[in-house]
Amino acid sequence: MSTTRQIEFRDALREGMSEEMRRDPCVFLMGEEVAQYQGAYKVSRGMLQEFGPQRVIDTPISESGFAGLGVGAAMMGLRPIIEFMSWSFSLVAADQILNNAPKMLYMSGGQFKVPIVYRGNNGAGGQLGSTHSWSVESMYANVPGLKIAIPFDPYDAKGLIKTAIRDDNPVFFLESERLLSVKGDVPEAEYLIPLGQATVRRTGSDCTIVSFGRPLYFCMEAAETLASDGIDCEVIDGRTIRPLDIETIVRSVCKTNCCVVVDQSWPFASIGAEVAAQVHERCFDDLDHHVVRVHSDDVPPAYAYNLEQEMLPNARKICEAVRTVTYNA
Amino acid sequence: MSIEITMPRLSDTMEQGTIIKWNVAEGDVVSAGDAVADIETDKATMEMQVFDDGTIARILVGQGKIVEVGTVIAILAEEGEDREKVAATVAAQPAVQRSQPAGAQPPPAAEPDEPTVTATATASSTTPAPAPPPQGEAAGDGRVRLSPVARRLAQEHAVDVSTLQGSGPGGRIVKRDVLRAVEAGQETAAAIPPSAKAVVPATPVPIDTTIVQATGVLEEATVVLSNMRQTIARRLVEAKATIPHYQVTVTFNMDPLLQLRRTLNDQLDEQGVRLSVNDFLVRGCALAMHQHPHFNASWRGDHIKIHGIVNIGLAIALPGERGGGLVVATVRNADQKTLRAISLESKHLAGKARTRGLTLEEMADATFTLSNLGMFGVEHFTAIINPPNCAILAVGAALQKPVVRHGEMTVGHEMSATLSLDHRVIDGAMAAQFLATLKQLIENPATLLV
Repeated sequence: MSTTRQIEFRDALREGMSEEMRRDPCVFLMGEEVAQYQGAYKVSRGMLQEFGPQRVIDTPISESGFAGLGVGAAMMGLRPIIEFMSWSFSLVAADQILNNAPKMLYMSGGQFKVPIVYRGNNGAGGQLGSTHSWSVESMYANVPGLKIAIPFDPYDAKGLIKTAIRDDNPVFFLESERLLSVKGDVPEAEYLIPLGQATVRRTGSDCTIVSFGRPLYFCMEAAETLASDGIDCEVIDGRTIRPLDIETIVRSVCKTNCCVVVDQSWPFASIGAEVAAQVHERCFDDLDHHVVRVHSDDVPPAYAYNLEQEMLPNARKICEAVRTVTYNA
Repeated sequence: MSIEITMPRLSDTMEQGTIIKWNVAEGDVVSAGDAVADIETDKATMEMQVFDDGTIARILVGQGKIVEVGTVIAILAEEGEDREKVAATVAAQPAVQRSQPAGAQPPPAAEPDEPTVTATATASSTTPAPAPPPQGEAAGDGRVRLSPVARRLAQEHAVDVSTLQGSGPGGRIVKRDVLRAVEAGQETAAAIPPSAKAVVPATPVPIDTTIVQATGVLEEATVVLSNMRQTIARRLVEAKATIPHYQVTVTFNMDPLLQLRRTLNDQLDEQGVRLSVNDFLVRGCALAMHQHPHFNASWRGDHIKIHGIVNIGLAIALPGERGGGLVVATVRNADQKTLRAISLESKHLAGKARTRGLTLEEMADATFTLSNLGMFGVEHFTAIINPPNCAILAVGAALQKPVVRHGEMTVGHEMSATLSLDHRVIDGAMAAQFLATLKQLIENPATLLV
């Protein structure tokens, strides 16, 4: 019997990275403020002390530089973890993370794999303004050759980061600064969560809600509200966007006959659109209503608190969507 | 201008049909209304009529073939048109039938072959003729709007969607509308031929004679399910799994009835009337309903529907050459009909079922079902209820037996009858009372004459 304890999301991430660094000397962490400052969000607290400056490396504000340095290191056999303080800042490193890392295996005819993890905060942090509030998943998921994981709680954060580090392909690991202080049960004993394996966060019979990462909390809130009205929702956490565990989603939709997808990125050409398309392709004869998507509104994020909250997916919007697909509007 | 004859949509859930038999050959002259072919739908085998006069120029789909609704199956040359020329034109066009699922029964010998697909076919010539408008369309723009899963469930439960009121936007029929209909037992009799609901244990029917080898050695074979077999399977599982069945058996002294029947048949011989034991049973059951209305009823989920008319369904086994299976023919208002009328109607329905097949109308709306295996010498059996009925009577043969009459052992005729009942509607004591009434009628058969 392994014991569990309650730890924060940020501690779970650190435990996962530290365990992998103890296990494999090729793993190292690099990014802005990860070492001396103990992490901009204290994710890497204590890691410099344990692993030393050779393996926990502070960088200048130069995403394109250190993201690309990581690609080179990975090609030469190391396993870098590159931290972006925010995925919003990864945009300046787009050529490295989208053009080099995911394509190198293909372009080199299989000679160079790129086992690298890019990780950091994704999604609206709360009044950070338009340019610092990116949800990059829809845009990045369009690129073949990379994987995207988006953990929901401390348990998944640790289990998924360890698998991501061991994966031989680039993995984009999307955290949320709104979740870093969330506490949850994490076993003492080692465990891994495979990429591409969704989990059912709440079972229900009337409507399937599919989401990833932080919006799942709004989904669970909506499911509670709807349950009191007699609408029994099943909430599926995709866990990874690429690979996408469409089978679990299909199984659920075939049971409930309707589906709402909640995706914090913009609606056009998005994860929500992709999941909806696949559900329509796979579950056509089982659907009682077309899939309805809940996204961030199709506008740049506002700075003002009320406007930002209104723009993001929330429980009210999810409830409306579920009522629509279950004909309870 | 030649006329294309397409696979008609004979029921609103029909998507494809099997050509059981062509009643015409190429070169035959036909008139509008002629039944040119027998078509097996998902529900029944029905006649297909032509709507125009002309000459059958070419038959494109042979017997035993399954094609989608709307597929061109034959070409009619109009009066004054050269049949040969029309046939030649058609032969040069690509085949228009879309699907020929493997496993369809092979067409008997001397049937027309598929038209040859030629390389010179042009894209424009492949456009299939539009399907005839489906029956039972909703009002308005004529489309029945229903969600994909509602469509699937309606098919699975044989719910006639044209009778449903959609609760979705724009009147769209959604899952819950179909489920409510199923729950309320509104699997409209009109939409479901009793063939689908036929519930009598069928006598073994040779579905595929190739199973039996000339040498007498049994060989494994896979029998393709006919639409009727699939429907029987689905409906019987549903009936047996959802209805709390129980059985009550009674034995009738048949001597008076057999005596009366012999007398009547002798006297009515010249009038061509020949009453069967079954005719008396139909009459007896129908009359008994007046005292026991709960046996002429349907379970509707939240209420019991007691019917105002008495329609007795008769289970009829179909001959192997028509694909086997069974149907339930309906003798309508059987309580209002004389033995003579019941007899004529039963004979007509049974004959038609075994030769040309019954129409949906002739199989719909039974309120109580009678299954008689007496002619096979069966002594006793139990039947599965035919939803939405709540009871079915399984009748054996009138057999000679040693019986005790007035304290004396003698030889007499006895017949066993077993009621299967839906316990949601009818309790045991009620069943006993119904059978007592029926016994009274059968054992005093003169009461059935008035």
